[in-house]
Amino acid sequence: MFTMTGLLALGAGVAWLVLQPDILATYHYNQYVIAVTHLFVLGWICTVVMGAMYQLVPVALETRLYSERLARWQFAFHVVGFVGMVWMFRVWNMTQLAHFGSVFAFGVVLFVYNMARTLRRVPKWNITATAVTAALVWLSLAITAGLSIAAAKCDYESAMEQSPPAFVVVMLHGLQSVGGFVAHFDPMSAMHAHAHLGGVGCFTMLIVGVSYKLIPMFTLSELQSRRRTAWSVALLNIGLAGSFVTILRRSPLKPAFALVVVAALAVYGWELRAILRARKRRVLDWGIKYFLTAIMLLWPLSVLAVVLSWPGLPLNKFTGQLENLYGFLGLIGVITFAIIGMSYKIIPFLVWFGRYSRQIGRARVPSLADLYSARLQALGYWTWLAGLAATSGAIVLSSATGVRIGCGFLALGVAALALNVGRMLAHFFKPAFQPFTLPTSTTPKTA
Amino acid sequence: MTTNEITEEAILETLRQVVDPELGCNIVDLGLVYSVAITGKKVTVVMTLTTAGCPMHESIRRGAQNALLNLSGVEEAEVQVVWDPPWQPSMMTEFGRNATGAGTF
Repeated sequence: MFTMTGLLALGAGVAWLVLQPDILATYHYNQYVIAVTHLFVLGWICTVVMGAMYQLVPVALETRLYSERLARWQFAFHVVGFVGMVWMFRVWNMTQLAHFGSVFAFGVVLFVYNMARTLRRVPKWNITATAVTAALVWLSLAITAGLSIAAAKCDYESAMEQSPPAFVVVMLHGLQSVGGFVAHFDPMSAMHAHAHLGGVGCFTMLIVGVSYKLIPMFTLSELQSRRRTAWSVALLNIGLAGSFVTILRRSPLKPAFALVVVAALAVYGWELRAILRARKRRVLDWGIKYFLTAIMLLWPLSVLAVVLSWPGLPLNKFTGQLENLYGFLGLIGVITFAIIGMSYKIIPFLVWFGRYSRQIGRARVPSLADLYSARLQALGYWTWLAGLAATSGAIVLSSATGVRIGCGFLALGVAALALNVGRMLAHFFKPAFQPFTLPTSTTPKTA
Repeated sequence: MTTNEITEEAILETLRQVVDPELGCNIVDLGLVYSVAITGKKVTVVMTLTTAGCPMHESIRRGAQNALLNLSGVEEAEVQVVWDPPWQPSMMTEFGRNATGAGTF
């Protein structure tokens, strides 16, 4: 459910950019950019990441999910919340946005609670558990910051005039106070700080932490330095905390903390390289290639981050487009590439586990690689890469036509992914069992 | 009267039906099966997996057990998963190396 919803949101987001490409070719502080960004972040990234975490965290940390029922409830709040939020951003109705945002936030509370109770059961605490915990904290802060920004834009007078019940009055006064506090900060800075909490704190932290478990598993390797893994996660936390405060306050110390985040990612890259060099499985499949491409894209993204954090950088049309490029490369480049790569490892496993794990040894069952098409994976990879390159160039040049062409390639990438996911899920309805052939070499013995 | 004698060859042939889904190769040619012991109608197999903490651990172990119980003459099958010695790519047969793709390991 989470995967299919996420894919629908990805398709809708890319289609939106094809139909309205000018929103990436102009400065990003407008309702359409914010709406489409939340469609990608909440509808695509958050949905798929949450669904994957429900399945993966118990497997990766060798425990059980605390409650599947809570996960189902969260899904309902999540979908209603993000669809409403995207729509209200689009029509710029801040009051309704806050309502849908609260529905979404309630879902996040259920998610975080479920994950926290699951983490409490982890028998052996490790770097992945630490990173997942940090990501949950940053996610909670990102949602709180987002709601606070929305609270600062709301009008409370009309609600007060309707003589609401006492508890609503208390709540409205509370929101007014939060809104008043947030209003002290520059709205752009608050929005950028909020975006970094989600993008770096939650999603990048998860990429780092979860890959420390999955990449060695998929490439038949091992962690090479526990000290490096600890430093990468610690530096990422320190850099993000500092970045949040310095971005919010437009402090000249912004580049210093941006460099701390870059240092964290460099240490992460160092360890990842060591893991891959020690791997026993030489050839990398497409899932891992997608993931490693995402990691390589952290280089240009880090350069952009340091440049954009520089104090005194003039805010003109060009730097505005560089900010668009930064967000686009982060969400559609790094995070989406990483998610697609990991999806090509996780979805086949889940399908195989659900459909074939009980049949192994009783019938011949397909391997994971038999569940999807490697050609479609390759097609998706190259069209996504071409789409990223073309759209990035078009964003810098403020070319709406270029954005449309680039996003056309991205749409092809989404189609390839959707076809492959459909192929995998089809095994639930049409399994590919083959007869189990017993050996004929048992020696008949005549007594 | 005709009975079937369980042989090590038959057991290995049976275990070749059990494929590691991630690697797409059977557990015998991957070199995961360390030893086979036959005691009357009971078969004990000692095997390993390519990586500790593998989420397929229980599926593959149970798959091997199911396969053995399908074998004529086997009434009891025990499959023990051990981590010492750790699996190495060099433990694969030539068939295993070919099945996983030339140069894969």
